Amino acid sequence: MMTDYVIRSQNAVRRGVLSITFVGLLVLAWEVAARRNTGAATAIPPPSEISDIIARHHGLLLQQAASTGLECAVGFFVAVVCGILLGALIAYSTSVSAALYPHMVVFQIIPKIALAPLFIVWLGVGTQSRLAFTVFSAFFPIAIGTLTGLRTTPANVIDLCRATVAPHWRVFMAVRFPFALPHIFSGLKVAVTMALIGEIVGEFITAQIGLGYIIKFAASNMETALVFAAVVLLCAIGFQHRRLGLRH
Amino acid sequence: MSSATDRLEFRSGAVRTLWFSVGVATLRAVVLPVATGVAALIAWEWAVWALHIPQVVLPSPSLVVHSVVANAGLLGAHLVPTAMVTVVGFVLAMLLGTAIGIAIAASRLARDMVYPCVLAFQFVPKIALAPLFIVWFGMGLESRFAFSAFISFFPIAVAMTSGLEATDRRTLALCRSLNATPRRVLLHVRIPFAIPFLFAGMKIAITMAVIGTVVGEFISSRSGLGYLILNAASRMQTDLILAAIVVLCAVGLVLYGLIEAADQITSRRFRG
Repeated sequence: MMTDYVIRSQNAVRRGVLSITFVGLLVLAWEVAARRNTGAATAIPPPSEISDIIARHHGLLLQQAASTGLECAVGFFVAVVCGILLGALIAYSTSVSAALYPHMVVFQIIPKIALAPLFIVWLGVGTQSRLAFTVFSAFFPIAIGTLTGLRTTPANVIDLCRATVAPHWRVFMAVRFPFALPHIFSGLKVAVTMALIGEIVGEFITAQIGLGYIIKFAASNMETALVFAAVVLLCAIGFQHRRLGLRH
Repeated sequence: MSSATDRLEFRSGAVRTLWFSVGVATLRAVVLPVATGVAALIAWEWAVWALHIPQVVLPSPSLVVHSVVANAGLLGAHLVPTAMVTVVGFVLAMLLGTAIGIAIAASRLARDMVYPCVLAFQFVPKIALAPLFIVWFGMGLESRFAFSAFISFFPIAVAMTSGLEATDRRTLALCRSLNATPRRVLLHVRIPFAIPFLFAGMKIAITMAVIGTVVGEFISSRSGLGYLILNAASRMQTDLILAAIVVLCAVGLVLYGLIEAADQITSRRFRG
């Protein structure tokens, strides 16, 4: 038992050290290569220049990051509420779920990104259209996760509840919902990424505000260091939202 | 004797009801979704007509169908580059993703170094990197090939790796006791075991490849369905936007269907 534990923690340490070393070597090689070849430095600026840009333009970048992060978080939250509610409503009627489930699966497959310009036609180029598009992008994985989760409650547990004449809402709160949680969370994991993608694509095409706008604007000016700086902040937002959303 | 015939009667009756209920269940599974879809289209058509919703805001389904037919030539011309970029990007991602997956599975050092980075990339909003691909590869097809491949690479690499790692332990122990070389174990045991995982990854990757192509066309292209959608949006031709989206969805569903069919065929061939 003890040795098993020791071996496992040794493996974890090895993995951590090796992957950090790998990333470190990659960044170092990138820095050296970009400094040697000044011609390529516009295309791929050295990491030191990117951190320099972040330090120099931190006011602008943080302001835009706050706008992106906030819109994305609000959109994700609305999608969570709507998705869980609709998933639960559908799960309670077999006819409704039989009627709607195939459509929801098809909606998972089709490229929803293509609908972004339609949201601009409907809601203008402001926050509303980006928010609506973010909700729309993040909604389906959550609804499907909830629906699948509520459907997979073991039948014998439900039978037991029925035998003890538990009221419907108590069965839902105490049994079906907790059983559905792992599925709901796996839907949420997908949805966090989708919400951020929806937000960025919205910013690409509305081109008013946010890190997506900064990225597109900087790329068209060939300011690649600024692009990378904005991407670094976006990754930070992505990780942060993931951590916030997934702490059980 | 009579009880035996009774039982026989009863059983054939039960079988008949079973058949009947199976028939009803499949009928229900087909009829209900189709009926909902048709009802939604009729409600949409009726709402546009009854509430006098302007065409710019929401064209009726019949108008969208009409627009698909009327613009068939235009849509076809823009469909070709989109489908080509998607397929080429996906094939590139397949080659790279399976190669990386095999490399990670074959070497423990490669696994411990590279795999955490590949996993971390799953959560990075890769869409945000699209403008960089234009800086690197220009406005032409190359940048969209590369971006589509980049977006769809990660699900394939992750699926291939986890598939190769999920090989049955007892089978591996058997191979070791038979003194099989690591290369033969990889080719004849681990890769066949990984194929269902690979298909699951390919299904995610093909939808990502379509998304990558469309986003690439949004920001760089002069052709393709993504460009057509954005162009129609700037001219407020909502019916053309929806027509292009219908065609794009058809492309996505056909490509997904092809992978699903390949999955069914290989699983039938390899697992009886």
